[in-house]
Amino acid sequence: MSLARTLAVARRIVAGFRRDHRSLALVVVVPIVITALLAWVIRGSIPGTTRVAIGNQAGVTGDRMIAILRAAAPPVGAAGGGTNGVEIELVGDGPAARDRVKAGSAQVAVILPADLAAAAAGGMVTLTVVTQGTDPAVDSQAVAALQQLVIRAAGSMGSLGVPPAGAGAVVGPGTAAPVLPTIRIAHETIFLSPDADTLNVMAPVFLGYFAYFFVFILTGISFLRERMGGTLERLLATPVSRLEIVLGYGLGFGLLATVQVVLMTAFTLGRVPVPAIGPIGEWGVGLGISSAGSPILAFVVVLLLAIGAVNLGIFLSTFARTELQIVQFIPIVIVPQGLLSGIFWPVERLPALLQAVAHVLPVTYAVDALRAIMLRGDGLGDPGLALDVAVLALVAALFVMLASLTIKRDIA
Amino acid sequence: MSSATTTASDTRQPAVSARALVKAFGLIRAVDGIDLSLAPGRIYGLLGPNGSGKTTLIRLLIGLARPTSGEARILGTPMPSRAALARIGYMPQGEAIYPDLSVAENLAFFAALQGTRDGAAIERVLDLIELGGRRNTPAANLSGGMRRRLSLACALVHQPPVVFLDEPTVGVDPALRVQFWAHFRALAAAGTTIVVASHVMDEADRCDELLFVRAGQVIAHGTGASLRAEAGTDDLETAFLRFSGLGPDGQPLPGLTASGS
Ligand SMILES: Nc1ncnc2c1ncn2[C@@H]1O[C@H](COP(=O)(O)OP(=O)(O)OP(=O)(O)O)[C@@H](O)[C@H]1O
Ligand SMILES: [Mg+2]
Repeated sequence: MSLARTLAVARRIVAGFRRDHRSLALVVVVPIVITALLAWVIRGSIPGTTRVAIGNQAGVTGDRMIAILRAAAPPVGAAGGGTNGVEIELVGDGPAARDRVKAGSAQVAVILPADLAAAAAGGMVTLTVVTQGTDPAVDSQAVAALQQLVIRAAGSMGSLGVPPAGAGAVVGPGTAAPVLPTIRIAHETIFLSPDADTLNVMAPVFLGYFAYFFVFILTGISFLRERMGGTLERLLATPVSRLEIVLGYGLGFGLLATVQVVLMTAFTLGRVPVPAIGPIGEWGVGLGISSAGSPILAFVVVLLLAIGAVNLGIFLSTFARTELQIVQFIPIVIVPQGLLSGIFWPVERLPALLQAVAHVLPVTYAVDALRAIMLRGDGLGDPGLALDVAVLALVAALFVMLASLTIKRDIA
Repeated sequence: MSSATTTASDTRQPAVSARALVKAFGLIRAVDGIDLSLAPGRIYGLLGPNGSGKTTLIRLLIGLARPTSGEARILGTPMPSRAALARIGYMPQGEAIYPDLSVAENLAFFAALQGTRDGAAIERVLDLIELGGRRNTPAANLSGGMRRRLSLACALVHQPPVVFLDEPTVGVDPALRVQFWAHFRALAAAGTTIVVASHVMDEADRCDELLFVRAGQVIAHGTGASLRAEAGTDDLETAFLRFSGLGPDGQPLPGLTASGS
């Protein structure tokens, strides 16, 4: 095992990349652009209004509740920060409100029940909320906006059970004592702030997934060229060992992955404000997501994953004859990992069979580790994270071995 | 001249040897029982038509392929041996250089793998292949002949005592080819053993000894003069046909050309 030869292999990979500007852009620029796009989609979309149609079947008490909700509703058009504008319209009774949702002119119908006053006095109010049900994403956003609204208004709801001054007919005598807030939804979070959006949960794992994806593609193609171009056989006519080649590749592409991860981490965690220029309002470069734990530990996780990807690329290049065939591995190797590894859907909620599959995919452990580090602030002392890191190291070692085995001196 | 100064152990131990070497690819026996013993400090020419097994023989000798049976040794070490590869120079038939590295980077890379950190050695081979002025050109932007020259330089940069060159002068212009052979001669005089595979008969006469290869076997081995005398002809091509068991009017074997142009 010679360090000089390993370094020579690594240096030649980096030297080759210096001239390959397009691949460099792929490594450095593309992940940032895609993450920025994702951030834009998650944070920027539906800046508009959740239109709520209220069907009031509760008479005066309903009117008072509507007034309270209106007062608490965030102004329309004030987007950002996770709060969307809410527009409240009184449309008559329940069926009328349903019709609005059916026609699409409102996203949510809220039906105030006839017994609202009694229920409020009794301490438990149930509001019926109706959505179209055709697009769960839109529905859940609308319901979430409504929930936020109710939380904001909760403080004022205590008066609902109290008869309004001079109109004591609704509630009988003897129930004059005001009942405390009835619609109280306590929203607390353990890790993120209640304002956290999807991006906080997504951005950390994108770090790992991008590194995995690009490093795999680049090594796969690069090693395929070695095999097909005769340089691999030429290497094997020198004293270099298979392990030195594989480690040199890991080092060279590990360096590229490092550059990528450092830039991505800076982009994800940092935020540089850009002042408003002319018609363009003030904006910022970077996502400004806070990491609870050590960025260095996060980096180690991504690097372990990348070393696995390098060697997976070398291994799979054995089964490809053209660069196109390397690209054909993407839907087989990369996409399923993206779907199953918990990036978009929590692994615990997958069907049992798919959970089993997810637990053999290295990206699953990297996603879990990155969330543990960046969201919960875990360190290596936490058994869950320690297990993740151990599995990633094991997988990297396994792939190094597999990759070495595919480099045979007898290539014929 | 310095072949006279080779040590006693050198003369006793062949630089390259093979015993009953066989390599079969399915039904094809690319190398079919070859015995060799090549002395240090001499230039050997492997001559034979396309597919006769020259490249396969070289790959077996340096341990790039495992023989089906038999054994090869370089400087007394049984192959394959990674350690022995440091003392072997190999220029493959298709140039195996990195197109995205510059001329100098390719040389430095192979020098490092082959255990040389000597910057002067890189300059020397750059001068030999006359690419000093293009040291920073990416290999992808070189002409075909220049890439062959770079590939040769990569094989020689670590000054190995045993060199295998698989058709080194294909695509190289005549003036530079003359220079290459002068360099090979100087290397041999300094004790380097050189094995050259070629179809080019007028290059054959620059070798000390010739091995005629046909269908995976060495059908004749000797100096150019002795082979001519044995075949009773002045023409090496005709001599090859004689040794192949064909008459002087036998069909010329494909791939065997009379000159390199
Ligand atoms: N990897 C391989 N798999 C199967 N057959 C092979 C392989 N390599 C070589 N051969 C066969 O072995 C025989 C000898 O090939 P080789 O390349 O050694 O010939 P050569 O003398 O170098 O020819 P050329 O002058 O064209 O370079 C040919 O029939 C070839 O098809
Ligand atoms: Mg050949």
